[in-house]
Amino acid sequence: METDLELMLRVTRGDEGSFEELLRRHGAPLTNYLRRMLRESALAEDLAQEVFLRVYQARERYRPDARFTTWLYRIATNLALNAIRDRKGEVPQAEGESAEDGSGAARLVDSRPNVEQQLMQSDRERLIRQAIEELPERQRAAVILHKYQDVDYQQIAKVLGVSESAVKSLLFRAYESLRTRLEPLLVGGQL
Amino acid sequence: MKCFEREQLFAYGHRLLAAREEEQVRAHVAECAACRAVVKEYGKLDTLLDGWRPAEPSPWFDARVRAAIAAESAKPYRFRSPFSLGWVRWLAPALGVVLVLTAALAVWRSRRSPERLVTPTVASLPASRAPQNGVAPAPGPAPVPVPTPQMARPQPVETPRPVTAAAKAGEDELGLYENLTVLEDYDLLANFDVLSELSRGEKKVGN
Repeated sequence: METDLELMLRVTRGDEGSFEELLRRHGAPLTNYLRRMLRESALAEDLAQEVFLRVYQARERYRPDARFTTWLYRIATNLALNAIRDRKGEVPQAEGESAEDGSGAARLVDSRPNVEQQLMQSDRERLIRQAIEELPERQRAAVILHKYQDVDYQQIAKVLGVSESAVKSLLFRAYESLRTRLEPLLVGGQL
Repeated sequence: MKCFEREQLFAYGHRLLAAREEEQVRAHVAECAACRAVVKEYGKLDTLLDGWRPAEPSPWFDARVRAAIAAESAKPYRFRSPFSLGWVRWLAPALGVVLVLTAALAVWRSRRSPERLVTPTVASLPASRAPQNGVAPAPGPAPVPVPTPQMARPQPVETPRPVTAAAKAGEDELGLYENLTVLEDYDLLANFDVLSELSRGEKKVGN
């Protein structure tokens, strides 16, 4: 299988098929990253599209001096952080956070075990999501890249434009905050 | 037995340590129940975070990206003239700076030159700078003094001052240089270290 780098080099020579392959490989993870950063699926998809468009526009200037995913996530992170700053003050409604979602009333209405399990799972998921969303932007990006996108810390340093030791510190502080915020789940043994 | 900081234990649990440090922490954690509990706690948190499941992008996401790329490809080819290159953006400010500096230098020189451009003749030289002991000025056409506003003004009368032998010799040499035909451009010559030093010597003597 060709590496991302090889595919991107072929894209620079005008191979549209290689770009399709890159889109197939990274479309879903990138959209997930942006969705976790921004809470909103529609905005996340718009920005993910923008990221791929920018990669395509910059294909002739591409230099293989870093991993393709570093470049991809760097563009995505910049767009996400800009979007977060632009939207500060607004209170977006996250997907799945409807009145019934995770509420006690919904659970009382239907007490079938599978539904209860589902609700517990979605309740736990909501708490995790909220805890991560409450992290400062850079800590949030570091945690999401590290935990959910499987990006190593050296690469995270390049994506965020900080030193590797700064990434370790960002991750530690983020996990400490998460440990405190999610303590009821950790102690309650709901895992 | 000294326990590790939480940050190191966290880094150990997430494989963020260098190999040597990781080995040290591993050895300690194997023996220390308290540190082992901290590492376990981070592991538990990590497992909990797995509960935030990924979502699939909408089915039309790929199609939207393809459409955007197709639209981008269909754009008419834009001729990139050399003037659209990035460096051209910096050229204008750079030229501006060069022009301003050149103008400033020209103004500075024009203010400075009336004094300097006057090639001192024997007559115009102060007594202390006139050829002494029968040393005649160098042969060649006598330099024509350029009339300047400074020349029109009455020159202050210099009071005689004590002159040391070394300073006097230096001033003689300066007078000789200034009267050489080939070295008429005194302004240019002023850049030479010898003349600058001589001038300084003269000032020092004056003071």
